[in-house]
Amino acid sequence: MTVSTLEERGRFERRLLLLQWFAGLLLLLLFVRLADLQWLQHEGFLLQAERNRINVVPILPTRGEIVDRNGKGLALNAVSYNLTLIPERVENISAVLANLQKLMHWTDERTQSLRKRITRSRDDRPVLLADKLQWDDVAQVAARLHHLPGVDVQAGTHRYYPYGPDTSHLIGYVSLARGEDVQAGILSTEKVGRRGVERAYESLLHGSLGSQYEEVDAHGRRISAFRRVPPEKGQRLSLSLDVDVQKAASDALGDRTGAVAVLDVHTGEVLALLSKPGFEPNRFITGLETEQWQEWVNDPQHPLINRTIQAAYPPASTFKILVSLAALQAGSPLSHQSTQCDGFIELGERKLRCWKRRGHDQVDLHKAIVESCDVYFYELGDQLGMAAISEAAQTWGFGEATGIPIGPESAGLIPRVTTGKGARRWYQGETMITAIGQGEVTVTPLQLARFAAAIANGGTLLRPELLAGQPADIERQIEVKPEQLQAVRSAMRDVVASVHGTAHSSMGRLAWTSAGKTGTAQVVGEAQDDEKPENDKPLKKIHQDHAWFMGYAPYENPRIAFAVIVENGGHGGSAAGPVAAAVVRAMAKAEGVDSEQVMQPDAVVLTDGAEGD
Amino acid sequence: MTRWMPRLDWMLLLIMLCLAVFGLVTLYAAVHQGGIVLWQRQVIYWLVGLSMFFIVCLIPIRLLALMTWPAYLGALLALLLVPVLGEVQMGARRWLDLGVINVQPSELMKWALMLLMAHWFASRHASSLRDLSLALLFAVLPAGLIVIQPDLGTTLLLLLSATVMVFAAGLPWRWAAYGAAASLISLPVLWLNMHTYQKQRVLSFLDPEADPLGAGYHVIQSSIAIGSGGVFGKGYLHGTQARLHFLPEQHTDFIFAVLAEEGGLIASGLLLLLYGLLISRIVSIASRAATRFGAMLCIGVAAIFSLYVCINIGMVSGVMPVVGVPLPFVSYGGSALITMLAALGMVMRVHIESRDKLPWQRPGSPFA
Repeated sequence: MTVSTLEERGRFERRLLLLQWFAGLLLLLLFVRLADLQWLQHEGFLLQAERNRINVVPILPTRGEIVDRNGKGLALNAVSYNLTLIPERVENISAVLANLQKLMHWTDERTQSLRKRITRSRDDRPVLLADKLQWDDVAQVAARLHHLPGVDVQAGTHRYYPYGPDTSHLIGYVSLARGEDVQAGILSTEKVGRRGVERAYESLLHGSLGSQYEEVDAHGRRISAFRRVPPEKGQRLSLSLDVDVQKAASDALGDRTGAVAVLDVHTGEVLALLSKPGFEPNRFITGLETEQWQEWVNDPQHPLINRTIQAAYPPASTFKILVSLAALQAGSPLSHQSTQCDGFIELGERKLRCWKRRGHDQVDLHKAIVESCDVYFYELGDQLGMAAISEAAQTWGFGEATGIPIGPESAGLIPRVTTGKGARRWYQGETMITAIGQGEVTVTPLQLARFAAAIANGGTLLRPELLAGQPADIERQIEVKPEQLQAVRSAMRDVVASVHGTAHSSMGRLAWTSAGKTGTAQVVGEAQDDEKPENDKPLKKIHQDHAWFMGYAPYENPRIAFAVIVENGGHGGSAAGPVAAAVVRAMAKAEGVDSEQVMQPDAVVLTDGAEGD
Repeated sequence: MTRWMPRLDWMLLLIMLCLAVFGLVTLYAAVHQGGIVLWQRQVIYWLVGLSMFFIVCLIPIRLLALMTWPAYLGALLALLLVPVLGEVQMGARRWLDLGVINVQPSELMKWALMLLMAHWFASRHASSLRDLSLALLFAVLPAGLIVIQPDLGTTLLLLLSATVMVFAAGLPWRWAAYGAAASLISLPVLWLNMHTYQKQRVLSFLDPEADPLGAGYHVIQSSIAIGSGGVFGKGYLHGTQARLHFLPEQHTDFIFAVLAEEGGLIASGLLLLLYGLLISRIVSIASRAATRFGAMLCIGVAAIFSLYVCINIGMVSGVMPVVGVPLPFVSYGGSALITMLAALGMVMRVHIESRDKLPWQRPGSPFA
């Protein structure tokens, strides 16, 4: 054995030892790594494994129904069927779609857009092809489901509005949650109330989510379900609305554009709140929202505007009631005297005209309201001054939102009179025009109805209440003497009852005696001092006046107050009056008073000028 | 049979048996949901593999030495044929269809090169520049063919096992340092020539969260499985990551995560211990081998085996990039298991031939 051999052997053994140690070191390092994962980081990984494994599937709550004061459904949950398809379970998407198109009678465009939707969607999740289907629609498909693997028909519910456009503004509608809702913690598959009551009482109606704990595999497929927390149904809402009254008002308005607001004079409960034209809330079909929406947005009639609270109109002669009250409260001399109406009043070089060319002869407050004499109010307004009119208007709830919870709400416009440097100077003519409700002043129908309610209930300004059975929410009690109110009330009564009254022909013969005031708001270009065209040729529809009627009923023991506007309807008495009459009739019927029995004797008396304003 | 039975190394057999139990029990957990067909097949593979083990035990080492060159050249030829006739599977051309079975020539080469290196250095010295250069050529030639398939994992395994053998054969430290420096310098070159998916694997190894659903998914999910197992594990057949298929390749390359999830640190540590015992047993046989060829053979087997274990567990636990390397004796798959057992058969043969003999003392004689 040579030295070199021994050396060789020794080196080999050292190398062997070294390699063995190295292998051991590597294994040790692996063990350290495993200990790190399994011991030190165990908690975190366990959490991740659980998160992997457990899927909390939300169970959507059923939305609370909305009913009127008599329990009639305004927003219900109707049973319907959804047609879905799970792409990964369908072998030939084109063939299946062609098949479905035949069965469902879809258009080619619809099928194309569905195909696009399918390609954009996840393969393992159902894609909604159609919803709100009735059984008749899906029966064909349901019968052939075994030929259509991956296609499914599921029962569900959708929001159904039995009264459609008639309650569209008041009730609103629901749609899928959007970005901001999702940020607020609502699931993107949940429906959220938009507009109206659906939005205002969203928190009550919505209900709360239930949940289902599911064990899922790596592909998201459900393996088992183990814990279920049932959802909580949303609260059922009883509105103060009487949908029969709403319907009657809608029928009376027909296809005209306008609005009706009816309030309980004591509680401020909203009995009807109608804006026309409405929109069809049942027409929201998944995937078609935007198209339908564009159509409504571009409609010149603006069906999306709730005219009862979002549109402000010149109050026209209905404002004379307010000016009368202001004058009585302020003790203006003219309010206890009379003046001569020759059909116009001269103001410098201008002439302000009364609607009645021939004039009203001697006019006092009562007659001025009943026959709606403009000249009297030019003078009364002049005596009062802009500041007093403005202040009274604000006192009686104009120029401010009524606080109805279904905003956004227009406050209308009441000119504010300011003093001091830079303050606007009001000209005499402006004040006089304002006194007959023209000029800059605008009000919403709901403000006017609330005003009528305050006259009827003794000066209590109420906040409109949408829910039934709520105590009256008093905005403020107005300081007004009973005899002052009575003076106005009796004049309003005669607007309806007197043969000379502007609303006699339309409102005079109702089961409930009513009181009110007509108004005819000028729309364009026709200032009060302009010469009216001699031949009075019919104006284009959009240039016709807006017709107002506001009032309350019954006269002796007031129950309801109302305001009606018919856009471009013409004269207040003839256009808005019948709508108000329909409302009062419907109310009386609801209270069990048959209008036929109590029909007043003074038959048809067509009076000179009674149609005027 | 009975004549050489008592001459077997019972310790090695015992470790093998433990690994067989460990492997089959773990595999059952990984595949039982899809039916036990795969598991039954693996049992058969074990039986075939053990038969191979005993057959190889009967082959004299001398005969193996004679087979080295033909084996190497045959494997090289097969590798050359791969680009021409090879089947493309999962984006790489690695397989040769031999009618009966598909063969991965790169797998064959791994063992053939190991045999050749053992043979080469049985009578040669790693301190001879000429011999070393030739050995380097034997390794680089197939490595170049395999890397273009592309199969980075096998290439690395091939080169590393060759390195270990060269080192064991007495590579002077100075040259080892040169080699290390050279390979460090070649890293950027390697990077530039890597395929996109390979780069992606390396990148996702460096930061798995960067692409959690793509390349990093495997490692994230296997880390979760291992980590969530904790010290004691979730219980046999109760691993949620495995059961719900969050673990990819859970019966093949990622099976270690199943074991770690269900058996915890205790089971995974036990497996590491078994591997350690196996390696040290092989090395101890190497140190007692009567011939230098036998010793080198054992070192080669131990090297390949250790590399498999370290690369696989390192990859599954997120400390190595993802390369397709099975976990010896545990991963599902016949050919890897059978060749592994055959290799252990060689080790056993070395042991049998070394009984009652002094360890090799005379370099220069291949059969001494």
